[in-house]
Amino acid sequence: MSPKLLFTNAHLICPEQGIDGKGWLVTEGGNITAIGTDDKVASEAKDAELIDCRGDILAPGLVDMRVKSGDPGAEHLETLSSLKDAAAHGGITSFAILPSTEPVIDTAAMIDSLHLRASRIDGPSLHCYGAITKELEDDQMAELGMMAGAGARAFASGTLSVQNAQTMRRIMTYASMLDLPVIHHCEDKSLTEDGDMNEGETSTRLGMLGQPAAAETIILQRDIELAKLTGVHYHAAHISTAGAVAAIRKAKAEGVRITADTAPPYFMLNELAVSGYDAACKLNPPLRTEADRQALLEGLQDGTIDAIASDHVPVNPDMKMQPFTQASTGASGIEVLLCMTLRLVRTGTLSLSRAFELISRNPAQILKIDAGSLKVGMPADLVRINPNMSWIIEGRAFKSLSRITPFEGQPAEGKVTGLWIAGAPVALDQ
Amino acid sequence: MNSTLANAPAAQLSGRHLLGIEGLAVPEIQSLISRSSYFADVITGKVKDDSIADILRGISIVNLFFENSTRTRVSFEVAAKHLGASVLNLSVSGSSVKKGETLIDTAVTLNAMHPDILVVRHRHAGTPLLLSKHVDASVINAGDGRHEHPTQALLDALTIQRKCGQIAGLKIAICGDVANSRVARSNLYLLGALGADVHFVSPSTLLPAGIDQFGVPVHTDLEAGIEGADIVMMLRLQTERMQGREIPSQHEYFNLFGLNTDKLMRAAPNALVMHPGPMNRGVEIDSVIADDAEKSLIYTQVEMGVAARMACLEGLAHKKSEAA
Repeated sequence: MSPKLLFTNAHLICPEQGIDGKGWLVTEGGNITAIGTDDKVASEAKDAELIDCRGDILAPGLVDMRVKSGDPGAEHLETLSSLKDAAAHGGITSFAILPSTEPVIDTAAMIDSLHLRASRIDGPSLHCYGAITKELEDDQMAELGMMAGAGARAFASGTLSVQNAQTMRRIMTYASMLDLPVIHHCEDKSLTEDGDMNEGETSTRLGMLGQPAAAETIILQRDIELAKLTGVHYHAAHISTAGAVAAIRKAKAEGVRITADTAPPYFMLNELAVSGYDAACKLNPPLRTEADRQALLEGLQDGTIDAIASDHVPVNPDMKMQPFTQASTGASGIEVLLCMTLRLVRTGTLSLSRAFELISRNPAQILKIDAGSLKVGMPADLVRINPNMSWIIEGRAFKSLSRITPFEGQPAEGKVTGLWIAGAPVALDQ
Repeated sequence: MNSTLANAPAAQLSGRHLLGIEGLAVPEIQSLISRSSYFADVITGKVKDDSIADILRGISIVNLFFENSTRTRVSFEVAAKHLGASVLNLSVSGSSVKKGETLIDTAVTLNAMHPDILVVRHRHAGTPLLLSKHVDASVINAGDGRHEHPTQALLDALTIQRKCGQIAGLKIAICGDVANSRVARSNLYLLGALGADVHFVSPSTLLPAGIDQFGVPVHTDLEAGIEGADIVMMLRLQTERMQGREIPSQHEYFNLFGLNTDKLMRAAPNALVMHPGPMNRGVEIDSVIADDAEKSLIYTQVEMGVAARMACLEGLAHKKSEAA
């Protein structure tokens, strides 16, 4: 049973209620039972355990909508337990895992099994996506309806990008019947098959073949047309290009049911990070140009982009200590999602409230997870953050078993000082 | 033949490795070329200097070739032997890679044998840089993917300098598969740094992305591109690129972009022709030109390759002994 808690001296953030300021909050029985921004703490809080937040941020826990799990299939890279611990230290109270495991999450039984195994481990809530196709091959539709019944939050593809428009149309049509979003990775494979990084002057200078930005927008534009045709809720994952931002902005203006996310590397770094052939910066999609990065920042500001996800991909040194061309894509992201987003607040790009829309409220809404809000009656999934505590990002200090990050050695500000799941505290290293 | 008969001193390099031309300062390039030119005089018998055979006495050099290249490997081997170094040739493509050993494993294993200089050829860009971070030896890039081939550019510059007396002010057209050529990149940096007017000529499908940012004039018409050129440098076109992917056919490529006597008329009257080899006769170059001793520098390039590599090996060995 969760204790009755009274949080005082908190800097409350709740975009849904328009709260961004000093206040207090009471939780009981796993839920938020009272909240206030005045000095008159509710009378029912009298017998509660007092937590003085000393001015720290108290906000709805982060909802990370793009996480790859090593478990099952690659437990040497990440287990459910390491993933939950890493998420907790990253301020995340709910996360959704991609179907790209081994075996692929393409049946209801797989989802049941993951839910059951995750429930045995304390910490953040694990949600599953169902694979859009069987074994994530570009061919047969998976059992979307059964997976919906098992609690799939959406249908996703990992880094498979469905090349055949008819296949994609059928998936979207079927998913719209089930009223679940289709989350897609946009990549025209014929344009990217030999490319190791973004295509342009930098790839030519480094002597590598590139992936043009058009590889992302071609599939995205097609998918937007199919979303119009099918009426599905379409979600573009980890968008990286200015062209994608523009296409989504236009589609939203036309009333298309579309949402999108991006990830910290794409709005914090550009292709020049690859200049020393640093495989930690080899990602899919690749890091793009400075103009793309600026467009993503605008998209985050103006609402074109709905969410920031960690795009956590477990990788180890064996996969990265390779010639850049042969190295695996991806990097550990789950423990830097919060601090990288807070950096945008510090630089004045985003308000705190907008930041929590992007990392908590919106992803919760897209995936219909009961989270992302401090409203009375909501589960007490809370994160406490000292926004002024500075630290240096070091992969070796990660809780994740995957310790390779493109942000290695970079300074970060904002540290998680407390986490509660349904009102129960989660143990954190300080 | 113009040449530097004076005994130029060993090349002065600022870095411990030679990974590319990009990043070398002009004085470093010039000192490498001057020293190479002296070595060229010695190995062609113009100058007698038996003492060179002791320059790298006690130095061990490993040729670590992950990609087959008899020409470059032999050139490094001959260069090392002229200077008295011991040479070990390792072709890794077939052996340890297939056993699951990673590149870094190979490097660390080799490192335990304490070579002084590692000459690395790999099909992927950036591999020599990656290896240089894991070994104590000095690393020479002997060609990495589409990135750089610094000793090729040095030997090309040496060839031009000895033939023409200087590089500054010459119009040099580099023609062919620029997109996939490390030779084109290294030569652009090197010849450009020495004041040549470098032009690229290539079919549009074989131009690399963002080439307009490099400040080099680009032509898609061979005759226009070599107009008035003092040097026409042809690049090798890999046969697999000619079968309808980048190029409709070998037949069309030779017609549009192959160098023959007629097209060469557009270049300067005494224009010289170069090719890094191995040539595809009848694809990028007509045999009549390739074998024309008056016009073709192709065999001189091979000869100069040894001299240029001697200067590089010596420069790095000196750098390493300074650091020790």
